[in-house]
Amino acid sequence: MKTIIHDLNEKYEMILKEKCQKIISANGKYAPCQGCFGCWTKHPAGCYMKDTLETVCRDIGKTDELVIITENCYGAYSPSVKNVLDRSIGLSTPFSTYRGRQMHHTLRYGKKEKLTVYAYGDMTDAEKETFQYMVERNAINFGFQTFEFRYLESLDKSEGIN
Amino acid sequence: MKNQRFFNRKFVPAAQIRRLWKGMVISMKTVFINGSPKKKLSVSSYLLGIVRMLVSGEVVSEQVRNQNDHKRVLENIKDADAVVIGLPLYVDGVPSHMLAFLKEMERFCLEHDIRLKVYALSNGGFIEGRQNKPLMQVLENFCKRSNLEWCGGIGIGGGVMLNVLRIMFFVYLGIFVLNVVFAGIQTGNWLPMDAVQHFAKQLGIILFFNLGVFFHSLRMSIAINKGVGFGVKFTRVLLPSFLFILAADFFFVIISIFQGGIFKGWLAKK
Repeated sequence: MKTIIHDLNEKYEMILKEKCQKIISANGKYAPCQGCFGCWTKHPAGCYMKDTLETVCRDIGKTDELVIITENCYGAYSPSVKNVLDRSIGLSTPFSTYRGRQMHHTLRYGKKEKLTVYAYGDMTDAEKETFQYMVERNAINFGFQTFEFRYLESLDKSEGIN
Repeated sequence: MKNQRFFNRKFVPAAQIRRLWKGMVISMKTVFINGSPKKKLSVSSYLLGIVRMLVSGEVVSEQVRNQNDHKRVLENIKDADAVVIGLPLYVDGVPSHMLAFLKEMERFCLEHDIRLKVYALSNGGFIEGRQNKPLMQVLENFCKRSNLEWCGGIGIGGGVMLNVLRIMFFVYLGIFVLNVVFAGIQTGNWLPMDAVQHFAKQLGIILFFNLGVFFHSLRMSIAINKGVGFGVKFTRVLLPSFLFILAADFFFVIISIFQGGIFKGWLAKK
């Protein structure tokens, strides 16, 4: 199963919907993470804030392949996309283990296949480097076995995303 | 003609003269921005507090918890010389509400031609300080875009434990005071050496775990006072990672029992 998280407008959402069933629209109509760890310690894999991201960690946790389409923001995700990722840490458990010789949380839903990130918008070389590194780290953190980062120069050419 | 060229030459950039002048006559202003969404007991505020203690001149503490704070904080940095951003590590990067703030800050700084020195203090839950590296790079990229001077920061591992240690310090202090009072009333000896020794030992252990943090914080305070770059440094709670993992697991079991999550499909696939 494949899931797409994107911060594009409705026009592109229609195109994406034809290609993938599970679309998470990062429209910013939700609250940011409050860092309470409640999704581990109080109501596992759920958030106390009852908005569209309440159980988003379950959707992301169960997917085999995750595609993120985001505007570049200093070599990182746009705030609205990052908000979705911040709210999804319930996909792991409070327990810790070693992964890639460093400490990480164990995964509630096990390992996943691939994380692909497409970034668009103005982007410097340093930001591309940062983003590549960020995606590598995120893949380890969320338990993806492979990852790919691609810069999209123009969104109209991006219809090749599959 | 020659005179004209003489006056056009910039011997010292205006910003440096201003800084020198302010340093001598008016005190420097440093704004400490806490990027944690937590109202109380945030590790970021603890770390900012340590660095702040030794920074001279005018110091201001601010917190960005949501959009309502943006305007107030930005107005405060308008006439500042340096900002220190303290923030937690969320999914290898800057928390989303702080990314939104950084975008606002970029727009504001470019619009008002504000030149600031930017320092950062980030803390992650994992023990390796190095896991803060992507976040530091993001902040550096932010400074380049905003025409601000990136002065580096400290990436700290084991953030939650710093908080636990902070609470333990006050618990130990309380027990020590009680011991002294009881001993004083009962025996008339107001300085029971065994209680003093016990407390000194506990204090020593807490200090030891914090040594890396204190050392780099001190160096950052000095760098801020001098107005120079600091570089990016990584440190952690001084505990081997396998012991830290055990401590973290224990911590989450206890919290989950109290909050009830352990009885609600704690590790289940929901």
